[in-house]
Amino acid sequence: MIHCELLVVGAGAAGISAAVSAWKAGCHSILLADRAVQPGGILPQCLHEGFGIATFGKELTGPEYAAKLSESLQRTDILYYPETEVLSIAHEKTAVISRRGALDQVGFEKLLLATGSREKTIGALPIAGTRPAGIFTAGQAQERINLLHQDLGQNILILGSGDLGMIIARRFTLEGKHVIAVLEQNAHYSGMARNYHRCIEACRIPIRFRTTVTEVHGTGRICGVTIRNLETGEREQIPCDTLIIAVGLIPERELVRGLGDPDWLYSVGNCRQIYDIVDSAVAEAEQITRKALSL
Amino acid sequence: MEQIDAAIIGGGILGCFTARNLCRWKLSVAILEAREDVCTGISRANTAIVYPGYDHVPGTLKAEMTVRANAYFQTLCEELDVPFLRCGSLMLSYGEQADKVLQKKYLQGLQNQVPGLKLLSAEEAYVLEPMLAPGLHTALYAPSAGTVNPWQLGIAACENAVHNGAHLFLNRKVEAIHKVDGGYVLETENGSLFARGIVNCAGLDSASVQEMLFSPSVRIVPTAGDYLVLDKSVAPVPSRILQYEPEQKGKGLTVVPTVEGSLMLGPSDRENEIDYATTETGLSFVREYSHRLLPDLDLTGVIRSFAALRPNPQRTDGSRINSFSIEHPAPAFWSLIGIKTPGLTCAQELGFYASRKVAAELGAEPNLSFDPLRKNIQSVHSLSFEERKALVGNFPDYGEVVCCCEDVTKAEVLEAIHRGAVSVDGVKRRTGTGMGRCQGSRCEQKITALLAEVLGVPESAIPKDGKKSEIVWGSRYDTL
Repeated sequence: MIHCELLVVGAGAAGISAAVSAWKAGCHSILLADRAVQPGGILPQCLHEGFGIATFGKELTGPEYAAKLSESLQRTDILYYPETEVLSIAHEKTAVISRRGALDQVGFEKLLLATGSREKTIGALPIAGTRPAGIFTAGQAQERINLLHQDLGQNILILGSGDLGMIIARRFTLEGKHVIAVLEQNAHYSGMARNYHRCIEACRIPIRFRTTVTEVHGTGRICGVTIRNLETGEREQIPCDTLIIAVGLIPERELVRGLGDPDWLYSVGNCRQIYDIVDSAVAEAEQITRKALSL
Repeated sequence: MEQIDAAIIGGGILGCFTARNLCRWKLSVAILEAREDVCTGISRANTAIVYPGYDHVPGTLKAEMTVRANAYFQTLCEELDVPFLRCGSLMLSYGEQADKVLQKKYLQGLQNQVPGLKLLSAEEAYVLEPMLAPGLHTALYAPSAGTVNPWQLGIAACENAVHNGAHLFLNRKVEAIHKVDGGYVLETENGSLFARGIVNCAGLDSASVQEMLFSPSVRIVPTAGDYLVLDKSVAPVPSRILQYEPEQKGKGLTVVPTVEGSLMLGPSDRENEIDYATTETGLSFVREYSHRLLPDLDLTGVIRSFAALRPNPQRTDGSRINSFSIEHPAPAFWSLIGIKTPGLTCAQELGFYASRKVAAELGAEPNLSFDPLRKNIQSVHSLSFEERKALVGNFPDYGEVVCCCEDVTKAEVLEAIHRGAVSVDGVKRRTGTGMGRCQGSRCEQKITALLAEVLGVPESAIPKDGKKSEIVWGSRYDTL
């Protein structure tokens, strides 16, 4: 059994910031467990700039922000376990963690949950038709393009105009792909104005409001979708070879489901609430950590 | 030309079980499957129920087989190391017409000797399933009903057949059959083959396969149905199979607790459909009826929808079919045409039936070294901490979690590939990866990479499921 005072689950922006601020506050028995190979959570795959204005006074790219977090982590003696899956958390203040070649129990005094969020997938949407290859969530596409350097398709349709949808639309355009349109069910884009200007306007990507996908066509690979105008009810078939689902994030709290609200458990970052800006997630994570330690 | 004793056309669940049972005789056996893997057609998507046997006309082979198969199911699943959940079922009536149907099924069930069958009052049924909508009249309780994962069972039977010496020929679509002296020649897309006997288990194509040589007395009219799957985290959920019997002739609804712990709702029936596409009306029907039957069920927990096809057999002369349509148009040629519900329940029985007939015609001796046992891929999820720790210590790959929703490790994925998975869905069918709440959006990348690495091909050659379903088109590094 591994013992620590503080177990932090997830080494994204919120998790690292929380762990580092706890260490600075004098808590020197910290285990930071994370699923990924490199620290930073989703940041390393966000090649675009726009992170860190509040914290660092300038716009950084995701990898630059992640590098700063990683440096701050290295200046501590926090025990950092990458490529580690936290399998379960129990009322007895123990967790089970799994790594290559090792399964361990971890005993802790306090737990900071920083597990981020997961994306809503097409399965959760009322979209009929087939489920062929060529349908990705925005984050999944971002990982495949930016980190794995893969070519996902040529004619891209994007469902959802949140920040993720707009940013992936620009990414595909920069890759030389044809973004047919971004579809948005509301009458206004749902992400930040900054992203609308930089991605949709600057790349001249068509955006269609009050429109949604009702059906997917194709066996093997997706060959098109039926879209519906929510005002007029009018339907239209649009050919495409790739469909990106960018319809929102769900806080990932499965590990603590059923635990209730024990006094040793704190949540930071996107598993607490979905933040638009990483700086706010970080600031609040640090605040919550200080509170957690003072109790 | 390759020569074998018995050729099975189609590697769905029936073909796999026929192969398994043919291995009980000293025969050389081969499954000819058109696709790249087994159980990719109708065996891949259906209601997953092991029926108790009250639905069928007493005295028919179908009634007799279903009751016998149900009683044997636990043993079968132990032999093949496949999970089986004997959760029981409630057929539900909310009106007088449906009461009559239940009464008829009850009497039929008694005649068929279905064990434990009971007609319950509404009060009794609400005790068992408190979530049921108010207004219930009666319920027919069948404690012997259960659920099984259809593709897991089929794959298990196939592995067991191969273990006992059967050949599995993939990508071998049968294009023509000729009658020759002492047997048949099967022309496939990858060469011809001589077989002394044939069992046609081609599912949706079974009538057209028989037509290559003899005209069948039934044709297949497929029915499609749409289903929804709820995440495991949805609570509360009913713990038994629920079958809502409609008051007027029309659509019912089935609610199925799966062996994986999720809840499946469906189907909405549509006749004469031949593709696996769901429809808007079908999906909203399932939602609406689910809400009507279980008003407190949290339908925001839907993680997947899918369509299933059923090969409905229709007699060409219009007469009614009460039992399985099994045809024997020529010596050592058997066709299982249009085996719909309860084909999953009876897969082992039907496979045994067909193989016994063929073996007798071919004059085969029993194979006394037949081994009915098969081991599933070792899953870590069900293990205790100590067991899992020991396994991870001995085999480091068991420590690397690939699918975080369903807790599936790298070792399991590698074993699935070793056992024949060549696609992302092939891995899914063998290990459960991608079946959870994120629907593979976090593990698909890792699985395509592992498939590419083990199979020695670029990732752009890895399909999602079948031909022309490659997930990525290439990598920037491919051209460097």
